[in-house]
Amino acid sequence: MPRDTTAEAPTEALEDEALLALYARGDPGAARLLADRLTPRVLGYAARLLGGDRAEAEDVAQEAMVRLWRAAPGWRAGEARVSTWMYRVVTNLCTDRLRARGRRRAVTLEEAPEVADGAPGAVAGLIEADRQAALLSALAALPDRQRQAIVLRHIEGLANPEIAAVMEIGVEAVESLTARARRGLSALLAGRREDLGYGDDD
Amino acid sequence: MAMTTEIRPDDLDALFAGLRADAPVPSDALMARVLADALAEQPRAAAAPPAPAFLTVPPTMARAAHPPRLWARIVAALGGAVAVAGVGSAALAGLMVGFVQPAALNGLTDAVWGATYETVELMPSVDALMTEE
Repeated sequence: MPRDTTAEAPTEALEDEALLALYARGDPGAARLLADRLTPRVLGYAARLLGGDRAEAEDVAQEAMVRLWRAAPGWRAGEARVSTWMYRVVTNLCTDRLRARGRRRAVTLEEAPEVADGAPGAVAGLIEADRQAALLSALAALPDRQRQAIVLRHIEGLANPEIAAVMEIGVEAVESLTARARRGLSALLAGRREDLGYGDDD
Repeated sequence: MAMTTEIRPDDLDALFAGLRADAPVPSDALMARVLADALAEQPRAAAAPPAPAFLTVPPTMARAAHPPRLWARIVAALGGAVAVAGVGSAALAGLMVGFVQPAALNGLTDAVWGATYETVELMPSVDALMTEE
């Protein structure tokens, strides 16, 4: 039995901004749709910025959504895209958290789980997990702004102008940050090419 | 064996693709918390200002978007269609008990209220005041 079809069906095609306006007018279906749409993105982005800390990412996601609900009544159409605004909020929340803990978790590659060696193919799933752990560790070792830029670009898939809007900087600054981040990641991961399963082809 | 230790751009892109494909999925608990916040923070429908012009709902949506908003809100507040069905059947059961008046219940009501009713005058009748004259 489909739930709440009367409430959800008509609003499904609406943009985030229109849904937010419906939410502000008291439409409960809009609340559910916005939550379904935005929570996974917000959670994913927070998890990447926080180095894969799931519990903390969930807290950030919930907090960011609360800020959206509170901003809804005063939201002015056309002023900002909801997604851009959300990315900015999550960016700031994560920066605060990383700073507050003084942590910036100086994760070094040595702390990453040992990469399984020697058995390519047979443990493909394990290797994929190792690759992700290695990348997350390397990301965590980058300066904050570089990490934000490159996660928005390569994991969230945003275009440079939108990243510029999220980070409130110019497009050129975004390009510079992502370029430096890529160099930084390459350096951090250098020497591990074979470990990461890319070694055999030359 | 030629050792290539450099991480190449392609390698980085492949690493990113792996992370993209493995995005964390929000737990049910998180979604419940988010939704509870949403409903708690939501302005009441009656107090909200009229919809901005850009929100004029297309005719195909208008049917469902406007009249059932109160109903949808009630359904959502009660916890979805399943809960509403539960509330509905409870109400029906109550109605039936009222009509059928099972013997067991009659016994109970007699015991509680007593078999006979006494009339109590809460307000002296106007007659008494009138006849005093």
